Amino acid sequence: MHEVANTPRGRGVLACIQCGRCTNSCPVSRVEKEHNPRKLMEMIILGLRSEVIGEQLPWYCLSCFTCLDRCPQGGDVGEVMFALRNLTVREGKIPEGILAQAQSLFDNGRVVTASRMASIQREKYGLGKEPTVDVEAVQKILVKTQFDKLINKGKRSL
Amino acid sequence: MQKAVAVIGGGVAGIQASLDLANRGFKVYLVEKNPSIGGRMAQLDKTFPTMDCSICILAPKMIECSHHPSVQLLTYSEVKEVKGSVGNFKVKVLRKPRYVDERKCTGCGICSENCPIEAPNEFDENIGVRKAIYMPFPQAVPRVAVIDKENCVECGLCDKVCPAGAVNREQQPEEVEFDVGAIVVATGYDLFDSSVIPQYGYGRFKNVISAMELERLLCASGPTGGHLIRPSEGKIPRHIAFLQCIGSRDRREWINHPYCSSICCKYAVKDAVLIKEHETDSKVSIFYIDMRAFGRGFQEFVNRAKSEFGIEFVRSNPGEISEDSKTNNLAISFEDPITRTVQSISFDLVVLCPALIPSKGMPELAKTLGIELDNYGFVRMEDSVRKPLDTTVLGIFCCGYCVGPKTGDIPDSITQGSATAARVAEVLASEEAS
Amino acid sequence: MKYAFFAGCLIPAREPQYENSVKKIAPRLGIELVEMEGTNCCAPFSIQSLDYTSWLALAARNLCKAEEMGLNIVTLCNDCYESLLMTNTILKENKETKDRVNQILADVGLEFKGKTDVKIFSDVLYEDVGLEKVKDSVKRPFTGLRVAVQPGCHLSKPKRLHFEQWRGITALDELVEATGAKSVPYERKEACCGGPLRGVNDEVALHVAKQKLDSIKSAGVSCIVTVCPFCFIELDMGQIEIKRHMNEEYGLPVLSFAELLRVAMGMDLEDWELKAHRIPITGILGMTEAK
Repeated sequence: MHEVANTPRGRGVLACIQCGRCTNSCPVSRVEKEHNPRKLMEMIILGLRSEVIGEQLPWYCLSCFTCLDRCPQGGDVGEVMFALRNLTVREGKIPEGILAQAQSLFDNGRVVTASRMASIQREKYGLGKEPTVDVEAVQKILVKTQFDKLINKGKRSL
Repeated sequence: MQKAVAVIGGGVAGIQASLDLANRGFKVYLVEKNPSIGGRMAQLDKTFPTMDCSICILAPKMIECSHHPSVQLLTYSEVKEVKGSVGNFKVKVLRKPRYVDERKCTGCGICSENCPIEAPNEFDENIGVRKAIYMPFPQAVPRVAVIDKENCVECGLCDKVCPAGAVNREQQPEEVEFDVGAIVVATGYDLFDSSVIPQYGYGRFKNVISAMELERLLCASGPTGGHLIRPSEGKIPRHIAFLQCIGSRDRREWINHPYCSSICCKYAVKDAVLIKEHETDSKVSIFYIDMRAFGRGFQEFVNRAKSEFGIEFVRSNPGEISEDSKTNNLAISFEDPITRTVQSISFDLVVLCPALIPSKGMPELAKTLGIELDNYGFVRMEDSVRKPLDTTVLGIFCCGYCVGPKTGDIPDSITQGSATAARVAEVLASEEAS
Repeated sequence: MKYAFFAGCLIPAREPQYENSVKKIAPRLGIELVEMEGTNCCAPFSIQSLDYTSWLALAARNLCKAEEMGLNIVTLCNDCYESLLMTNTILKENKETKDRVNQILADVGLEFKGKTDVKIFSDVLYEDVGLEKVKDSVKRPFTGLRVAVQPGCHLSKPKRLHFEQWRGITALDELVEATGAKSVPYERKEACCGGPLRGVNDEVALHVAKQKLDSIKSAGVSCIVTVCPFCFIELDMGQIEIKRHMNEEYGLPVLSFAELLRVAMGMDLEDWELKAHRIPITGILGMTEAK
């Protein structure tokens, strides 16, 4: 629990009183049995590290922050999810879709690049080229934060 | 030094303080903003955990107040100005006009029977109606009618039928001034307006009601004669849910009641049992965060609620309620704490247990008295350990829920009323001696 | 009113029609949008999930660019808004974090000074331009058009963005009504569309979109107005996918507020823009009258 609490955005886990309002408000928990914010917080509090970190669990979250908005104690569940995902990523578990976005960001400075149709439309209808990106600057930053290492670790685990 | 005390608030705490002080030889001015004393306890059906009829045990005290030679009831009145200091306060009270002469009215009720106008009944939490000329409630003290001028159409029927000729439309607000040695604040609480949290549908969904509205529905002297019915179409609900902590224990800045209101778990269980007693084959579920049933008899009561009455206790706090617009039934989505799966269940009636907040009008009253309020708007005690019954102004004291949720249930309020009376007597005696 | 225009990734790349509408309505409201050169992705939820410092550094780089221009930043996308606003707030309030991020930014010749503010386009319309001026710009108001406004998660969670009430929702509803349309209340307006999981967990995303569409359907509306480009894709394209996989149809056209206002101002959407909407919108666009 303290590992998560001391990770950026993870502090909220210390406030959790297990009231369950987060799960009862979560749009995903209604359609996906595996996703249960309250249970996730419970597992963190109980120290069930191997079950929480490095698994699928934090990746069902939409980060819609309904839980955070409803939590009466400042448990900031939606934020704790980010901390969990950050920790999970360090162990190399990243879903494919997210990895693709991360790779695109590193290569192009954007998580999604213009489709062919969009490029044509932009030019044809006077919108001009896509706003320029300074890919070099992006890569410099991401190398310094070791983001590229995280991507590579994720790719190896797939 | 004046051997007189002003008590502001005619609920059970204020009534107790008044009686104790009067029996000690003080002259007591009991000021109450509503047309009758009684406060919240008069609105309840039964008290927990003994399940006594609430008004039955309160009414004798109310009558004692009205008959006591040393107690002067100033109902339908508000404190407008206070000057002076301990031992010698000059209090100005504004008596709102009832348009009925208190000295002539016998409380027979013929006026109400004949009045053609109906208006929402505040005592019944606006469920059901009362007339434009009305008796606040059957056991009202003083038993004097009052005219609601806003809704009255001045038809003059009540003037004609009143056998005592007590209707007086010329009545003016009256300013009453008196001197007292001390003042007691006993203004009680209000219910948090749950519509502030729109996800629960309070105020929009007909069958989502507050706990006080439920009390009035269950009460034999209430708008339905004690028959529990659904507000939407009057059918008997078979599947009822209680939602605890609506606004309580909530640290979100825009709600700002991080405290536990301390009596809701207790009254919810009481109400659940009452419902099961009224309708034995109904199913009642209480959704809670923690079941706070402290003190003598309460945990036993909770255990009985489970084993004898089959009330379901679900440790899960719902975040929202949906309404089926065709049936007016409510759906609550929650995680079953035992199976750990999220499910949605339909209920006929949902009762919200809202946070208990300071009485409306507290900021103005505090300013008039010069006392401090705490950051939730409750009366601030001078010192919670050494002087828990004193406000921040010497000579002004406090008791009951107006001091905040640390006070618990009715016996606590009565105890505090008596304690404050003793404290008043002590302080005034030492003032006299010095 | 001059702003540094942060278009984000998704809109320029996949929804150029949204950008087109914004650029057409801005001049009529006195808004000058200055293109930002050499920006980068704001670091939305997917990137934030990977690394905290990377997020802050990437977002801060954009903020620095706006600071250099001496302008406030305006975004179109909710996710960009949230990412940039949160970063701006965190770095302004937390010196230690700011210093750490500035150390990284120094490598690319930038320094975050906290001199810019982040706004989303709908708030610029509501707060800076003002409702009156928006109403005046409407030359061809809608009539009889019932709209379900989808503010999107990041505009409807007050606590997250440090404001007290659902300001975002009220502003959008009033803006929609300024065009003559009626913003119809519906349950769970603040609920997510499912968009963030698109491409990550499509099944969950679609089920969540269905929940949203179900609650909108019960309100009896003719169309959905969005702000966020994710919401647009999920609710528009999502309806096609829901029909295919779950056999349920809604027939609810989806369009961005910028497009709605553009039509109300008297301009017509071009063919290529109409085609970008999977559920045809021509029907509702005709529900206007000359002023």
